[in-house]
Amino acid sequence: MSDARALPRRPDRFFPLAVGGAAVAIALLFLIYPLANAILGAFVRNGQPVTFANLTLANFERFLTSVSYQRALWHSITAGAAATALATAISLPMAYAVARVAMPLRATVLAVSVLPLISPPFIGAYAWIILLGNNGIFTNLLRDYVGVGLPSIYGFFGVTVALALSYFPYVFLVLQGALAAVDTHIEEAAAIAGASRWRVLRTVTLPMILPSVAAGMLIVFIKAIGDFGVPSILGGEYQVLPTLIYYQIHGFFNLNGAAAIAMVNVALTLLALGALAWINRARAVATVSGTARRAARPLPAPLRWSAIFYVWLVLVVANLPQAVTVLYSFSERWGDTLLPSIYGLENYRRIVGEIAGPALNSVILAGAATIVCLAFGAITAHAATRGRIAGRWAVDLIIMVPFVLPGLVIGVAYLAAFNEGALVLTGTATILIMAYFTRRVAFVFRSAAAAILQLDRRLEEASTICGASWATTMRRVILPLIAPALLAGGILVFATLIGEISVTVLLYSARWKTLTIAIYEYLLGNDIAKASAFGTVTIVMTFALVAAASRLAGRNMADMFR
Amino acid sequence: MLSIRELTKTFASPSGELAAVDRISFDVAPGEFFTMLGPSGCGKTTTLRMIAGLETPTSGAIAFDGRDYTRVPPQQRNIGMVFQSYALFPHLSVFENVAYGLRNRGVKGTELERRVAEVLGALQLDGFKTRLPSTLSGGQQQRVSIARALVYRPSMLLLDEPLANLDAKLRIQMREEIRRIQREFGILSLYVTHDQEEAMAISDRLALFNAGRLVQIGRPGDLYRQPATLFAADFIGRANFFAARLAGRDASGAKIALAGGPELTVARVVALAPEEAARVPADVDGLLMARPERIGIAPGSRGIRARIGRMQQLGGCQRYIVAAEAAVGEVTVDSWRAGEEYGEGADAALTLDGSDCVLFLRPEKSA
Repeated sequence: MSDARALPRRPDRFFPLAVGGAAVAIALLFLIYPLANAILGAFVRNGQPVTFANLTLANFERFLTSVSYQRALWHSITAGAAATALATAISLPMAYAVARVAMPLRATVLAVSVLPLISPPFIGAYAWIILLGNNGIFTNLLRDYVGVGLPSIYGFFGVTVALALSYFPYVFLVLQGALAAVDTHIEEAAAIAGASRWRVLRTVTLPMILPSVAAGMLIVFIKAIGDFGVPSILGGEYQVLPTLIYYQIHGFFNLNGAAAIAMVNVALTLLALGALAWINRARAVATVSGTARRAARPLPAPLRWSAIFYVWLVLVVANLPQAVTVLYSFSERWGDTLLPSIYGLENYRRIVGEIAGPALNSVILAGAATIVCLAFGAITAHAATRGRIAGRWAVDLIIMVPFVLPGLVIGVAYLAAFNEGALVLTGTATILIMAYFTRRVAFVFRSAAAAILQLDRRLEEASTICGASWATTMRRVILPLIAPALLAGGILVFATLIGEISVTVLLYSARWKTLTIAIYEYLLGNDIAKASAFGTVTIVMTFALVAAASRLAGRNMADMFR
Repeated sequence: MLSIRELTKTFASPSGELAAVDRISFDVAPGEFFTMLGPSGCGKTTTLRMIAGLETPTSGAIAFDGRDYTRVPPQQRNIGMVFQSYALFPHLSVFENVAYGLRNRGVKGTELERRVAEVLGALQLDGFKTRLPSTLSGGQQQRVSIARALVYRPSMLLLDEPLANLDAKLRIQMREEIRRIQREFGILSLYVTHDQEEAMAISDRLALFNAGRLVQIGRPGDLYRQPATLFAADFIGRANFFAARLAGRDASGAKIALAGGPELTVARVVALAPEEAARVPADVDGLLMARPERIGIAPGSRGIRARIGRMQQLGGCQRYIVAAEAAVGEVTVDSWRAGEEYGEGADAALTLDGSDCVLFLRPEKSA
């Protein structure tokens, strides 16, 4: 019959090959090359080309000889560990309460719990100075009315607390998920066997979620040792590896030296990552299939209300920095009182002329990066979940490693890779866009991969059988079906990029100054009023976008960060 | 005509190469309804998917009307396929689902509308054009998926367990429907199922698969009456086995003696493959196979001595599960004689007619 003649004649290999080839080229150029280059660069003296003869460990010698290097390493480890411990201590009871206690507004609690993750940590860090700094509101109130002096917020104490409060949601979410998944029948069996409530918790529940506790802790640790914003605001003389990298570049433009520090930072991260992978394997075995049933045994009322109170207390304290930033932006005078004495829009009037440029830059850069993430993420996700390509794990690795590496490390790698040679991108929008893409493509990749995995594979086969080419199947079947997931992933990328600083701070130029850089400069210049107005705009934008994404995906905001 | 020659598919497995499909050959005539039947994992679906072009054969050839299809991508084979999960595009309306293959062939406008309407009409789906698949019942989704496969007049129709997701009653209805549509379109159809009753009811011919091999091909009645292996005898219908000793042979067939029972002459004699010969008890020469409705049951002791274990009333007939002295395993007897019932635990005698039976002999006794 004549129909068959209209079928595509050309072997259907061109499109997948072209698209796949482009994806591989991008991965090679913007994911693998900069990192490989930085690794090699760390073993060469500053300014020298990478040759076998030039290889040296000189850049690492500083860790043996320089006190400031050793301190920074030590500070990274101790502040990271302390922040992790604090975050876990906060999260354990909170996760138990949210998972097991009959809690009003549980969905709201979960959504609010991720707000600290969404707002840029360095903006929050500054709010702690407003509250608890040498001339902070609480500091002054306590000194004047109670007569108590607070320890200085600068240094170990402030960095640890701010990091813990910024990143605790990661461990909280993992724990809450694990606790909700534990089959409550097991606990009931223990109770029927005569164990007290406390004994059940200690001998049954906690051991079962222990791998999850460890996994959550490692995520917090990885995030904490990679954070630049918080220590750069609250650290002062207290340096950590990311700030040390920053000063190596800003002070000396010593790319190779910075690369060496970055490698140490990476080594710490990979160590934690390896432990995480190991624990996750154990977790996969131990995870009990979750009956969605909630614990049947209600807590006595006083205990229950204390639990609810505790949960909200944590939420309020963790979101205090964001609240203070917003409040400050609307205040015209905030002296020695708990709340501002005069409210007004003066701060916004002052930034009207200045915000348009950086805001537009942020939107353009984040928007372009989001588009690249969407195209690349969707294609690689399809290849990784459906393709018959060898080495899917390699795709996973290439996408996930830049995601977990500290932003400063990516920044250093990009500077070193694209500062000279065949492809010079320093100072351009492209370098920021591609660095953003590198750090965020995992959001789209994971979201798209999850959506594709849920699609019946037969849909693609049915489309093929019906005579559709690869491109037609993509355009008419797969893309429409994963569009909501793609969009949600894209918005998440966009939203979190609006608040990005750790890569931006190394790669931005006068032409491409972003919102976050503007805020950072105001903070360094002590213009808190403008910074808070800028910060409020940033926070509101990101919150609104993430809320929209969660709406689109039909998921709780909290689930987008699990 | 579809020709499959020496088709083989091997997969790498921890214990080495594993042949999911092992040197399968058969032909399917134009307009024929051909079924591939077998237990799960027997290779029938892999074979179908190779014919569809969704899997690449390790070796062997697939040809249609003299053209080699073996390496042709599925888009260019012009086939229709119905999946077990229906695989309807959930974001497209019934109309667009059905129109999908036509659009890929560049059919547009009124021609497109006319042809979609035509096939929707043939499947009694006229009123559903604008509905989304999720709003349809299982049976309706099934029809849409058949319509989608037939609308572009494919050169063959492949059906991969299309009824597995339907409830028992609808399954029987739909299989009649599929057969009717297949006749109406006169299309060569390849059907995969693990349900032998379904296969028998629907097919012109069927191919029985086991462990990647083709066991037997034939019309449904042939496979039932003349199974070529013990597996085929067991898989299609119910089979009863009796331990048999070979007493002699002549032109009319093999003469056998059953333990404690009479001698029989059996015309249909099959030599067992070595791997199946192990099922023959050590002290005898072979197994005599008889279908439940071909065994007589009577009071007294003139025949094979038996004791009634359980009786099941199946409506049309009584089924007796019986322990008999010559039998290998339990014997199932379906008795159609009305009014005659035996109580559980009663003694009875079984009678066999050699012309209804198949004798499976040890390979060394078959010469």
